[in-house]
Amino acid sequence: MAEQTDEMQMLPVRIAVNGETWQGAIPAQETLLEFIRTRLGLTGTKRSCESQVCGACTVLVDEQPISSCNYLACEANGKAVLTIEGLSRNDVLDPLQEAFMRNIGAQCGFCTPGQIMSAKGLLLANPSPTREQITDWLSGNICRCGAYPAIIASVQEAASGLADRSAR
Amino acid sequence: MLAPFKILNTNSVSDAVRELARLGDQAKVYGGGTELLILLRHNLLRTDYLLNIKPIAELGEIRGNDKSVRIGASVTHRRLETDVTIRAKLPMLADAEAQVANIRVRGQGTIGGNLCFNDPHSDPATALLVYDASVTVEGPAGARQMPLRQFLRGMYATALEPDELLVSIDVPCLPAEFGSSYMRIHRLQRPTLTVAAAASRRNGGIEDVRLAVGCVGPTALRLTDLEAKLRSGDPKDSPRIIREAKTYLKKTLQPIDDLLGSAEYKIYIAGVLLERALAQALRIVDKKQDGKNG
Repeated sequence: MAEQTDEMQMLPVRIAVNGETWQGAIPAQETLLEFIRTRLGLTGTKRSCESQVCGACTVLVDEQPISSCNYLACEANGKAVLTIEGLSRNDVLDPLQEAFMRNIGAQCGFCTPGQIMSAKGLLLANPSPTREQITDWLSGNICRCGAYPAIIASVQEAASGLADRSAR
Repeated sequence: MLAPFKILNTNSVSDAVRELARLGDQAKVYGGGTELLILLRHNLLRTDYLLNIKPIAELGEIRGNDKSVRIGASVTHRRLETDVTIRAKLPMLADAEAQVANIRVRGQGTIGGNLCFNDPHSDPATALLVYDASVTVEGPAGARQMPLRQFLRGMYATALEPDELLVSIDVPCLPAEFGSSYMRIHRLQRPTLTVAAAASRRNGGIEDVRLAVGCVGPTALRLTDLEAKLRSGDPKDSPRIIREAKTYLKKTLQPIDDLLGSAEYKIYIAGVLLERALAQALRIVDKKQDGKNG
């Protein structure tokens, strides 16, 4: 987050983050990642490659996965942002979080918030993805520990759980 | 952290062109921002103004008729990947778009930005060249249209003047008797090499053929000389003709050694993918024929 100077263009925004509306003015050049981590103190979203390649900073804006490092916060004006902190409700974990824990879909865990948010975007768009659709969608989320098989298993399990629930 | 800039919203193409003429080098066109924001972050570029063209409605339109599709410059890769008109009329383009970078880049990045940036490692340009696409740009003197192959000048270079805006891409559909195919190899989400092919048949032979290769040299290119050699030939001879074109490929594509591979490797792979993409395009033609006969 940059210090405010006279030259800076401050833009009024209203952004719903994890269901709570934030209203105020932010510099035009503030990224959504800076807004989330520094301004709101939500540090689950990770800063990593800053080149829209690794996926560690993935959050959902109106249910679409975006790289918050390469997305201006002012673009989220009037939209709904979902971060890893907003996934659980009243201490009830999201099925994806449960599945990642059961399958140990992580090693060091640094890429995990991005993996889960990206997968959340997939399951919102397509509740019953094939394995190929999962690997294709998540191919932009890099795991340097190489936990890919467990990550895929986690997403498959969460998806089949969702399918079971809707079938009931 | 990005150095400060101001965002100027524009509501029409004439609005944007006027602002570009007024601000000159102080402004950069801001569409999806995928490439632009990275350049700003790494201090490869400084700008006082981002000229936001997203509010311009006509730049976000996809309009198709029987013969061609007009794609607005602000249309995202994701829309080109999923749009029903594109999938029905330009299936090979949809296929290439589905392979761009990753889901986040596809959701944010635009076709116009991709072509104007003209990164040599781009998917859409290779596919669009085979469709004989043309672009419409607008400046203070009005609009002008040119073939995409003239627009793509070289590495990160286009025929766009500083006060001009890319407005749309016109993509003629391939004639019904054509089959087409897009193939690539890639590492780390960036293509190492892209190949697009389209072909039609006559009496079991090849009637017409179009080939393009991207990522090897400074910009994606059509291989017109090789096309001429393959045209009206027997498909059985195609692999040999392509293999014998090594010197031509080297001269035309101007490959360089880099982290993605040696120049020699890239020329070898270009030959392999050209063979496969042409064969695949012909298989699609055969399938269409079988469909008709059956």
